[in-house]
Amino acid sequence: MEENERAKEEEEEEVWSWGAGTEGQLGTGKLEDEHLPQQLLLAFPSLPSAGPISLLACGGAHVIALTASGRVLTWGRGTSGQLGHGEMFNSLQPKPVNVLESFVMTHVSAGWSHSGFVSDTGCLFTCGDGSFGQLGHGDYQSHCSPMKVSSFGSKHVVQIACGMRHSLVLLKGNSGDQVYGFGSGKRGQLGISKDKIKLISLPQVTLGFEDVEINTIGANGDHSVALSSDGHLYTWGRGFSGTSDTYCPQCLPSSLWLTQAALGWNHVLVLTGDGEVFMLGGNHHGVLSGPQKLGPEKRLLEDSREVVLEKVHGLDGLKVMQIAAGAEHSAIVAEDGVVKTWGWGEHGQLGLGNTCDQTSPQTVSLGHKLPNKHATSKVYCGSGFTFVTRTVCLPSQM
Amino acid sequence: MSYDDVEIEDMEWKEEIQAFTYPCPCGDLFQITKEELKLGEEIARCPSCSLYITVIYNIEDFTGESDQKSKKNLEPSKQQTVAVA
Repeated sequence: MEENERAKEEEEEEVWSWGAGTEGQLGTGKLEDEHLPQQLLLAFPSLPSAGPISLLACGGAHVIALTASGRVLTWGRGTSGQLGHGEMFNSLQPKPVNVLESFVMTHVSAGWSHSGFVSDTGCLFTCGDGSFGQLGHGDYQSHCSPMKVSSFGSKHVVQIACGMRHSLVLLKGNSGDQVYGFGSGKRGQLGISKDKIKLISLPQVTLGFEDVEINTIGANGDHSVALSSDGHLYTWGRGFSGTSDTYCPQCLPSSLWLTQAALGWNHVLVLTGDGEVFMLGGNHHGVLSGPQKLGPEKRLLEDSREVVLEKVHGLDGLKVMQIAAGAEHSAIVAEDGVVKTWGWGEHGQLGLGNTCDQTSPQTVSLGHKLPNKHATSKVYCGSGFTFVTRTVCLPSQM
Repeated sequence: MSYDDVEIEDMEWKEEIQAFTYPCPCGDLFQITKEELKLGEEIARCPSCSLYITVIYNIEDFTGESDQKSKKNLEPSKQQTVAVA
């Protein structure tokens, strides 16, 4: 008892949000954009046993929170059933997904208007917009409560990644058929065939991973990515920076050891084992990276029509711990807990107090400095908004 | 600058707002009505932000539909046969 109380005093979780908020996705209880970080009072009164947040999945305009005890809460836009509350309404407050109450959930993902949930027993559930087959139930129906994807049978699902109109699934083990795709495949984002496949509503094996062990998958917009255990990035789907679409996973030629990848609608950020950040694409909207200002370098890129990894400038000397990407903005957390953002800023999604775009990383001010306190931050991006969770460890009294 | 070029077949018809829509990176939807398409408009705008997309379509697909309605008693057209079949 006494131990519990002391633990409570020593560790405190803060949740901050900013950016587009007109669907209630910021969890502020308001329907408006916020240009500066807002600290939320997400006490989850409806779910006292939830524990701290272990993962936030941010989609087009909704958020899924996975807690340390394996519970799931959702809020924001719900008009396609993506919140899993059994209705098609927006929710301004986090509400538990009751259908998943009897399971311990271990992974979640939020797409444009659909959601995926994975349990510790390897079961996959989906809900929301199914009109492109992105729920994987073999039809094109939408569902407002999570439904189990039955076609995996006894196979153990470990991860789900939801994009704009497609989904990817990662299975346990490295038997070759580890990654599956379903939903819209028009831009090659399913990677299931060298031919053009418009839609598919049942999971199909993504080709090209027969001799590779995949650690993580990602989907956003019409893009798909996977990171292998030996630090390589594979991309498929819509081409970056105007290059042609790819229908099978392509390994990015690079000597860098990559540990994280974060997808936007026109760019992908990657983090190296040394804490450096590189970007692929990103000059589409003209604001995500600076190359257009560099003249010659940009021209070289356009001439060669080759997409190359470019180092993100302005992070020199910083060891980056985590990366995140919204549709057209980017965010990182550095070793010292500092959060930086750049890219499109029209809805305040950069959290800098204005609606300006930024071509290089800018520091976000999350309240006052916390002297003598050690904080661990994590950043998550939805299409036009951003969340940060920060665990503050108070100095021990002993 | 147009954010993207999108084919009309990739847009979704939303009955509630009587418009073809496509996801906008801000979280809202780019929108264009049948009336706008009929007039040759090719820009679909987002009501929440400054971004817009260029819609790729055949204007005949939309003007044809109105012809079918207004002239259906005068000229039994091919389209009508298709509709019956």
